Amino acid sequence: MPWDVLIFYLIAAVCVLSAAGVVVARNPVHSAIFLVLCFVNIAATFVMMGAEFLAVVQVIVYTGAILVLVLFVLMLVNPDDLPEFHAARPVQRYVGLLLGAILLLEVGAAIVTRSVSGEQGTATPDNIAAVGGNTQALGRVLYSDYLLAFEVVSLVLLVGVVGAIVLALPERLGERPSVARRGSISLSHPRGVDAALPEGRPAGETLIPTRHSTSPTRASGAVATGNDREVSAGPTPTGVVRDLVMTRDADAFGHMGDKR
Amino acid sequence: MNDQPLWLTFIVAFTAMNVLLAGMAYMTWFERKVLARMQDRLGPTRTGPAGLLQPIADGIKLLGKEDLIPAAADKPVFFFAPLVIFVTAIVSVAVIPFGGTVEIFGRDVNLFAADLNVGALFILAFGSLGVYGIILGSYASASRYPLLGGLRAAAQVISYEIVLGLALVGVFILSGSLSLRDILARQQETLSLGPIDIPNWFILSQPIAFVIYTIAAVAETNRAPFDLPEAETELAAGFHTEYSAFRFSFYYLGEYINMIVISLFASTLFLGGTGGPGSDRFWGLGIFWLLAKTIVFLFFYIWLRATLPRFRYDQLMGIAWKVLLPLVLLNIVFTAFIRLVANGELEIPVWVWIAVAVAVVALLALSLRPGGGGEAAPARTSAVGGD
Repeated sequence: MPWDVLIFYLIAAVCVLSAAGVVVARNPVHSAIFLVLCFVNIAATFVMMGAEFLAVVQVIVYTGAILVLVLFVLMLVNPDDLPEFHAARPVQRYVGLLLGAILLLEVGAAIVTRSVSGEQGTATPDNIAAVGGNTQALGRVLYSDYLLAFEVVSLVLLVGVVGAIVLALPERLGERPSVARRGSISLSHPRGVDAALPEGRPAGETLIPTRHSTSPTRASGAVATGNDREVSAGPTPTGVVRDLVMTRDADAFGHMGDKR
Repeated sequence: MNDQPLWLTFIVAFTAMNVLLAGMAYMTWFERKVLARMQDRLGPTRTGPAGLLQPIADGIKLLGKEDLIPAAADKPVFFFAPLVIFVTAIVSVAVIPFGGTVEIFGRDVNLFAADLNVGALFILAFGSLGVYGIILGSYASASRYPLLGGLRAAAQVISYEIVLGLALVGVFILSGSLSLRDILARQQETLSLGPIDIPNWFILSQPIAFVIYTIAAVAETNRAPFDLPEAETELAAGFHTEYSAFRFSFYYLGEYINMIVISLFASTLFLGGTGGPGSDRFWGLGIFWLLAKTIVFLFFYIWLRATLPRFRYDQLMGIAWKVLLPLVLLNIVFTAFIRLVANGELEIPVWVWIAVAVAVVALLALSLRPGGGGEAAPARTSAVGGD
């Protein structure tokens, strides 16, 4: 057996096994790790097919950016708050099974009928070498023949970005969290603060669910007068539970570098 | 380039890797010595002449320490996370060209392990994989400080990766290739400016990209003043708080190797790589010039650490998204435009040039007017940089 075939089977085996691991693993972080492994191996198969650019972009975009964000969210969320794995509703189970079966049949049919090989396109090794390599060939095609599709895709992504910003906006535009607010640790703010505001959480902050998340009523219940706080300024004052919040504009808190 | 037998490539790769590891060990010595001199101290002096054996002593000490594993740790992940950052850092050196094809002992040898046609992106890709070492290590430690350090690292590295990658686009546009060897070859041409010939280094045609790359590289390798993921005043040791002994040393190795690789990368992309006096006659001089440029870059890293206080986290993110990203996008548009015009693919009538010049001058005048708008982003930079 030639070496490249052997290496391909090795990569393919790791790929399929790690894909199975994504589904089987009970810990969501482990699932994400398996997914990273799977993506990297897919990139390796791209390299074997001579599509180095695609491989590198696969690694940069999927494993380097998207999965890091997935892990980021997983680490912020308390594992107890995650929906139970392997506890899908029956409908989800059956529909998922059905869709999986259909996909398997499609792939099988494509392989059996050899419709994959079909008619050969113009992207032959000679043509690719003529324009200087597969990176150049891909660039040429994307920015000439498929320019419209490319622009439409980027427009869709832009709409996605705008949507995300709109979702994260405070209810009233321009509203900023009060400088005097207390009772939370801001991820972006170096001086974590200690007690809660009487009026509760200001708009524009998102409570990150943790094991100790306080409800708004509890947060306002933990209000202490200035004197009390100084008395109980030990390492962890009893009764005061710190929340993690995400604030949009940390500059509203700090005046270290700015002259405002 | 010639097709050399696999074992020869293996030897080249093995040599490069070991030189990198030895370089990393002496990078720590270099850093301690330079930092010490900058702070009016001596640095290591006891072990060997001028403390030259200090890295070896440190290595033995790290090997002999107790390997602590937190009880609540996610053990498999805890074990392999340090390896991720180490391996991804060291693999990147494979695509760095230390020279062309040369004759050593009567045999043609390629002075690079692999000539990928996407070499520059390869280094970026492995840099982005390295962040998993930090995130997974911090998650697996099951501890608060590492978790916060890991979150910071993830956000920071993703943000600065975008800036780092986009800063290189200008170089790619000018060289027309993603292969580091092609980029190197383009820089070995000479530009004639009247009577004098200067080398066509990309630092000359892409100065903005070079500055932005340098800033982003410091952030990407989690070094001072952007070492928020391991800010000891806030987060103990950050993401590697729970790591000890040899597992910790992998993080340590990974960080320094990353610095060296990113400096080699910068020297190759912007500073002419192996180019220098006499490098076209003897390949050893080419390697010498490459290493010399890299050491200058590394010295700059240490200098930064000795000079600048740490940034606040929101300032760090603000610099990336509000200052560097717009600048780097402008740089790309500008470079592409210039390239089109210089290649004669875009004919522009004279009156358009005049109109553009007038508009630019008018905008500048408006924004420089005392109390005028439009200066928000640059003003912010100076406020941040002045900390």
